[in-house]
Amino acid sequence: MAKTILAVDDSASIRQMVAFTLKGAGYEVIQAVDGQDALDKANYHQVNLVLTDINMPRMDGLKLLELLRKLAHYKNIPILILTTESGDEIKAKGRAAGATGWLVKPFDPKRLLEVIGKVIG
Amino acid sequence: MAELRAAEGKSDSQVTHQSALMERDGVLCNAEADEYFMSIKEELNQVDRLVSDAVNNLVINFGYISNLTKSHHEMVLAIEKMAAPEGSKPILELLEKQMVIADKIEQELEMAVTSLQFGDLVTQLLAHTTRQVEALNIELQRIERQGSWKENAGKNTLGTIHEGISKAVNMAKTKGKRKPVVQQGMQMGDIELF
Repeated sequence: MAKTILAVDDSASIRQMVAFTLKGAGYEVIQAVDGQDALDKANYHQVNLVLTDINMPRMDGLKLLELLRKLAHYKNIPILILTTESGDEIKAKGRAAGATGWLVKPFDPKRLLEVIGKVIG
Repeated sequence: MAELRAAEGKSDSQVTHQSALMERDGVLCNAEADEYFMSIKEELNQVDRLVSDAVNNLVINFGYISNLTKSHHEMVLAIEKMAAPEGSKPILELLEKQMVIADKIEQELEMAVTSLQFGDLVTQLLAHTTRQVEALNIELQRIERQGSWKENAGKNTLGTIHEGISKAVNMAKTKGKRKPVVQQGMQMGDIELF
C-alpha cells in the first residue's frame, strides 16, 4: 500500500510541484493550504509523513508542528519543514517543536525523495 | 510639504491662519501619501498576481509535458517489444535513441521543478515589501498626527521633517518582521536532518 504524505503550503504552485514529485514516486499525497487545513485533514487521514511550510496564513508551520506532536498518532510521525527560511534561530525553534528535518527551498525533486525515503523507512 | 513652509516673522493672527492652512495641507498631504502608498501596494499585488498566474500555468504545462513524456516512454517500450522478435537492428537503435531523449526530457523537467519555485520566493518577498511599505505609511501618518511641527509652527525646518521621516523609518524597521527569503539565486537549498 502506498504511503501517504500530507503536503502543506499556501503556495498553490509549490503544492502542485511537491504533489507532482511525490506522486511520481508512488506516494499518495494529501494537500493542505495552511496549518489549520492541515490539522483538520490530519485528524481524518492516516498520514505517514508531513511536509510543511512555515510562513502561512491562519496557522503557521511551527504552530502546526507543535499541535500535531500533541496528537497521539503524530508523536512519532516524521514531520519535515520545507521553507525559504534558513536562520539558525527559527531552525532551533523547529527542532525544539519536534521537526524531523529542515529543507530549504528551492527543493530538488531527487533530493526531496531521498530525504523522504530515508525518514519514512 | 506644508511643514516646509516657515512662518518666521509673522503676527499672531498670521501664525494662527498659517497653522490652520498647514493643518488643512497636512490632511491633504496625508491623503495623498496614503493614496501613493496604496498605489505602491496595489502595484506590488499586481506583480504578485502576474507571477503567481504565470507560475501556476507553467506548473500545469510542465505537468502535462511530464505525462506526455511518460506515455511516450511506455509507447517506445511497447514498440521495442514488438520490434524485438524481428530483430531489426535499425529500429531497435532508433528506439534506444528515443529512450535516451525521453530520459533527458524527464531530467530537464525535474530541473524545471527547482527553478519554478521562484514564484513562491518572489511572492514571499513581495508580501514582505508590502508589509514594509504599509508599516512606513502607518508610522509616517502617526508622526504627522502627533504633529510636532504644530507646536513649533514658525520654527519648522527641513531638519524636523527629516527627523520625523527618520523616526518613522526606524519605527517601521523595529516593528517589521524578519525577511522570509534570503536566497540570492535558485540553487537547491540546504537539507538538515535533526
